[in-house]
Amino acid sequence: MLRNLIFWITQKRWLLFAVLTGLVLYNLETPGGLTVEGYRTLIIVVLTIIMIVFEPVPLPAVGLMILFLQVFMGIDDPNGVAKSFMSDAVFFIMGSLMLAVAIVSQGLDKRLALGIIRLTGNKTWRIVFGFVAISAFLSSFIGEHTVTAMMMPVGLTLVRNAGIDKKGTAKLAALILFSIAYGSAMGSIGTPSGGGRNVIMMSYWKDFGIVDITYLGWMKRAYPILILEIPLAVLILWFSFRPKQRILDSAVRRLKIQVKKSGSITGNEISAIVIFIFVFLGWVFLSPYFGLGIIAITGVFIYIAFGLIQWDDLNRNTNWGVILLFGAAISLGVQMQATGSALWVAESAINLMKMVSDDISTLRWLTAVLLAGILTNLLSNAATVAVLGPIVLNMGGDPLFMGFSTAIASSFAYLTVVASPTCMIIYSSGMVQKSDYLKAGWKMFIMSITILFIVSKFWAVS
Amino acid sequence: MKFLIAIGSQEFSGPTLRMGMQVASAFNASVTVVKVGPKISDYSAAHVRLAQERMEKWNFERPGVDVLEWAFNFLAENKYITPTTIESGFPQNTLIDTGNNRAKVYLQGTVCSDVKLILRSGDTIAELRNEVSMGNFDVTIIGASQKRRMAHDLIQYLDSSIFVVNQYDPKKSYGLLVGVDDSPLTQKAVKYGVRVSQAFGIKVDILTVSKTGTFRAGYKKAAIQAAKLMRRMGIRCENLYKKGDPVSVINNTAGDDHIIVMGSSTKNPLVKFFTGSKPLKVMQTCKCPILIVK
Repeated sequence: MLRNLIFWITQKRWLLFAVLTGLVLYNLETPGGLTVEGYRTLIIVVLTIIMIVFEPVPLPAVGLMILFLQVFMGIDDPNGVAKSFMSDAVFFIMGSLMLAVAIVSQGLDKRLALGIIRLTGNKTWRIVFGFVAISAFLSSFIGEHTVTAMMMPVGLTLVRNAGIDKKGTAKLAALILFSIAYGSAMGSIGTPSGGGRNVIMMSYWKDFGIVDITYLGWMKRAYPILILEIPLAVLILWFSFRPKQRILDSAVRRLKIQVKKSGSITGNEISAIVIFIFVFLGWVFLSPYFGLGIIAITGVFIYIAFGLIQWDDLNRNTNWGVILLFGAAISLGVQMQATGSALWVAESAINLMKMVSDDISTLRWLTAVLLAGILTNLLSNAATVAVLGPIVLNMGGDPLFMGFSTAIASSFAYLTVVASPTCMIIYSSGMVQKSDYLKAGWKMFIMSITILFIVSKFWAVS
Repeated sequence: MKFLIAIGSQEFSGPTLRMGMQVASAFNASVTVVKVGPKISDYSAAHVRLAQERMEKWNFERPGVDVLEWAFNFLAENKYITPTTIESGFPQNTLIDTGNNRAKVYLQGTVCSDVKLILRSGDTIAELRNEVSMGNFDVTIIGASQKRRMAHDLIQYLDSSIFVVNQYDPKKSYGLLVGVDDSPLTQKAVKYGVRVSQAFGIKVDILTVSKTGTFRAGYKKAAIQAAKLMRRMGIRCENLYKKGDPVSVINNTAGDDHIIVMGSSTKNPLVKFFTGSKPLKVMQTCKCPILIVK
């Protein structure tokens, strides 16, 4: 009994730490300039960060905690919390996760494989370029983890066909897998539908009365960054994991044979592509009227209605817990704005920056971007934007510029295995090591921040 | 009896498997081999599952299956198990998910009742603890780990006896060192020692250590009874009485050419958590395989 209790305590030490931290903070005096509700909201933010980073309880439970603490701590009433929990951004996250399952289940990866090889030929560097570029392009529309899930078997089949043993192909495997994962992560900034965090930032802009940006408006600002990042990412990856195999002639030939065995494109596959094109057109032209989320869940309905995906498959493979967590994180972000805690944190940060320099425009930008970039490697990118968004939008300067940079920087999840599902997916293949992430990741991180800075300075973001 | 052998990789698990199977056959125990893979964060679990489903469509196996397959072949090649290949078996390596990050692994076309293969993912100690409690295992056999807290956590939290196959060299000849005192688990440790000694056909040193050099009646009685049992079982043995710090004496006597067998501490778990115990300290510092009997 006592042994079980000790085991529970060791497993849940971060939960106990979070509870103790919460109790201590709760009993401290409210800092000047901050309302009681605002202070309590910040306590929940601290607890949430501890719980997401160390995962002492399943993440959906963190979502539940955020919701009930808001009521128990007197920040809002139950109906208010419920209203802030559900929004079009949450519909979008839910819809896009379900769309991802529907698309992946169609088996389009074999078509993709053939497409990539036709474009790139058999030289390894060209294949790597192809993986980065196509992963980036696709993930800007359908979400990074979807693309990684579809591309990984293609990449690993090439590796399997190329080498004799695991040791001989270790670098090639790392090179191709990171091309897919980092390509997908980079691409997710391209359009609002590339990632839930983009939509969360757009919803903050709209809800806080800053600006109502369109799908194409986002693309116009984000795509130049993406296009510049692609060749540089290829170079970074190539020099980080330079493989022995410079030509993958026989590997490509075997892959072609394997893919051709699956026959010509089926009616279901064509339907799946056509429906997604309609969803995309809906996002571009109809989202100002109906919202991105409603269009996404309409698309899911059509997939189910056409029998392209079974509800059981959707139910099994959709991460409902993440939806709960993101909904709760957005609700927390809304409360940060409503209670003035976001403004207080922003002003405190500005006062600190002014101690360093009187002209804080670059420092402010850099702080927001670095915070987003670092937090996204520890938390999740959507949770990062949900919590950080209201703060950076109150930090002064152009809120569109600040919010956009924060949302983009939250895609720089290159440094750790847990940084994003794409990183975890390639790690789950057993072909890359934890140390590989830092090996290429820090270069990608610096390159991405530099490109973001250059484009933000010289391309009209506002 | 039921034995659980935990393996990590092909590179390091050979000695663990070899020694584990030898001991298991001495006990006539059924064996399960478990591999615990890395923890997948909650945030990514569904996405990883989706990716793995796609991988299976391309005939890629889940990481860890290759290690279990290697372990199975290693056991078959070394004649520890007798597998049968049948056409009506599974057409390919197959995983049956049993929930809670656990899957049973059935290898292609192979039938073997001698060994079960289990693939788990998550925190190593938590998963081993779950497996031990689920399968009511008597002994868990594991290779030595570089992780500082691993030995402590194994002893503290696993409900079975623990056999750590530390620095085992199959080419070397080993003796058996049974630590004996008046603690309640000594008798069980001696019985386990008998079986291990029979498995390897080796001589036993029955070691009793006293800090002061004075051996209480309980100590002497336990040592004499242990020797009597060994002789009755036809095992060559010798009683050693030594003075000094028990941990250093046991380690010095064992050197790198003994298999240590000793009972687990019966101290309060809370005290053990903060101050450790003799078996734990021996396990952390010894240079040879060690079996801690619970």
